[in-house]
Amino acid sequence: MTRFVGRLVLAAAALAASTALATAGTTTGPNGETAVPAASVTLTPEQEAKIREGHYTAGLAWHTPSDYTAAVDRGAKDEFERLGIEVVAESDAGFDPAKQKNDVETMMAKKPTIILSLPVDPDTAAEVYRPALEAGTKVAFVDNAPKGFVQGTDYVTIVSDDLFQMGEKAADAMAAAIGGKGKVGYLFHDANFYVTNQRDGAFKETIETRYPDIEIVAEMGLADPAKAEDVINAFMLKNPDLDAVYVTWAEPAEFVLAALRNNGDDHTRIVTLDLSEPLALDMVKDGNVAAIVADEAYAIGQTLARAAAASLVGEKLEPFYAVDAIAVTKDNIEDGWFKSLHREPPASLTGG
Amino acid sequence: MAGKLAQLRSVDPSQYIVYVGFVLILIGFSIVLRDDGFLTTRNLLNIVQQTTPVTIMAVGMVFVLTAGEIDLSIGPIVAVSALLASLVLRESFWPLGAAVGLLAGAAIGAVNGVLVAYVRLPSFLVTLATMGFLSGVARWITDLQSVPITNDTFNAIFGAGSLFGVPSLLIWTVAIVLVGHFFYHETRYGAHVHAIGDSAHSARAVGIKVDRVRFSVMVLSGVAAGLAGLLYAGRLHGARYTLGETDLLTVIAAVIVGGTRLNGGVGTIFGALIGSLLMGLLNNGLILMGLSVSEQLMVRGLIILAAIALTLREARR
Repeated sequence: MTRFVGRLVLAAAALAASTALATAGTTTGPNGETAVPAASVTLTPEQEAKIREGHYTAGLAWHTPSDYTAAVDRGAKDEFERLGIEVVAESDAGFDPAKQKNDVETMMAKKPTIILSLPVDPDTAAEVYRPALEAGTKVAFVDNAPKGFVQGTDYVTIVSDDLFQMGEKAADAMAAAIGGKGKVGYLFHDANFYVTNQRDGAFKETIETRYPDIEIVAEMGLADPAKAEDVINAFMLKNPDLDAVYVTWAEPAEFVLAALRNNGDDHTRIVTLDLSEPLALDMVKDGNVAAIVADEAYAIGQTLARAAAASLVGEKLEPFYAVDAIAVTKDNIEDGWFKSLHREPPASLTGG
Repeated sequence: MAGKLAQLRSVDPSQYIVYVGFVLILIGFSIVLRDDGFLTTRNLLNIVQQTTPVTIMAVGMVFVLTAGEIDLSIGPIVAVSALLASLVLRESFWPLGAAVGLLAGAAIGAVNGVLVAYVRLPSFLVTLATMGFLSGVARWITDLQSVPITNDTFNAIFGAGSLFGVPSLLIWTVAIVLVGHFFYHETRYGAHVHAIGDSAHSARAVGIKVDRVRFSVMVLSGVAAGLAGLLYAGRLHGARYTLGETDLLTVIAAVIVGGTRLNGGVGTIFGALIGSLLMGLLNNGLILMGLSVSEQLMVRGLIILAAIALTLREARR
């Protein structure tokens, strides 16, 4: 019980800290940086020619495998290819900061000019990227930078999704799906992870401030994605008559969908974040899923690669860039899918 | 006599396969990656340093498996030990932080040991339960927050420091492997561990204190995992609840590939070291080959399968 109260207090504090921006309705960087639109990172033809002449190389040190990582990865690789930069190494830390340190150390044997990465644990990440810094490699980050690192000297920039916008659009999509009123559930990520924390917080904040007739009547934290199914089954059992459920990201939302199907519930709507084919399939078949909010993940990789390349030719960059979010529904599935992941939606979704 | 017996028994062709496999893979990577910095001292040292925590846990695991037990709880012991050490280091001087980390490992190992040796519960189930419990503890201690370590001495001894130009992690690897090898092969204690794994019944009949030895191997494994936790914390200048989470299978694979039998009685400390280095070598080489992450996982899986198939086929003859 004390632990639960402690958690609530912490969550409230985190919410207060991360959503001081809530009233402004914008995303800020992990250290309060102002978000600048990703599209503003551009290169002149002269700069591009100069980059091509440099025969630069790059390493990609990702955090964990997912559709999202794959799209970021694709965006980065396409942009590097366009700029004549060779990707010489790629790694995946499986959410383990010690493995990520190993990966970066290993990559340094190839002396890449650039490393793009998403730090698993910003608190301990300074040691992860130290070898790259010492070798003069330009490092640019997705979502977050290591604690203690200074933008402009230690790293190039941060590119992220518009996290606030994602949570906000999820709230708007939910309200649209249930006609602006009802009792809803809130399944949030119960871990100290800036990305999910800010998205979840923005959803809650938007519901509470913008939709007085929608009430969050039940909430639960998901600490371990591997155990999400059990938590969700208990949650759905205890709350059988919700009008809608917000789920922090797609994988646990698939369990929510499974639970609703088991109960024969075709009333409760699901709104979640990050694209997933099974969920989208349910959505196009008029099932429980109402909307999936996605970020332009491909554009994150593309912008990050471009920004890192720009830093090689002396371009000065802003500390924090954000790409837009899209609420994907039955009506805009093809456009939305392509905008986010830069590939056509699976055939199952388009009837093709 | 018992020592000689143990030595004789440990001469098993299976333990040489891993050396051959290791050398072949090393040569393979050296040829494929000749222009990619693979053979630089820096990179080879990286491999040893990156595998140090796994190597140390593997040494503990050889004792446990040889005695016919298993310890599934080492992953969260790493996290709990690292977190407790880093919390103490906030307030206090480094020897105390290090001691608390090691003692935490020892204490958890002792709980496992009491349940296995004296309550007579199967180690697989006991440590499966403590693994779950401790994962919760690791999350609860700091409420999922990471704890930074700013003590330079600690970070040097357990992380990136060096002594007379030799990196500390290399020293830890060599020291623990040598000490482990000595106790495992050259002492009465090691012979007792082997004897119990062969047949607890016969061991008891010749007067070996079976329960006490069983208890001790669990403590040993706990201390090894605790030390691994300190090494992770020193390397990252901080601790986090996810440390060690994915290490259990790597440690078991390293030990088995190295020629230790899963069902007791036979093992080798040098083999475990080579097994652990092999795991690190694969991670390193496959990244340097520029393979995509999916390709890395597939190739690594196939190579480990091949290595295990070779080792275990030999062992069955």
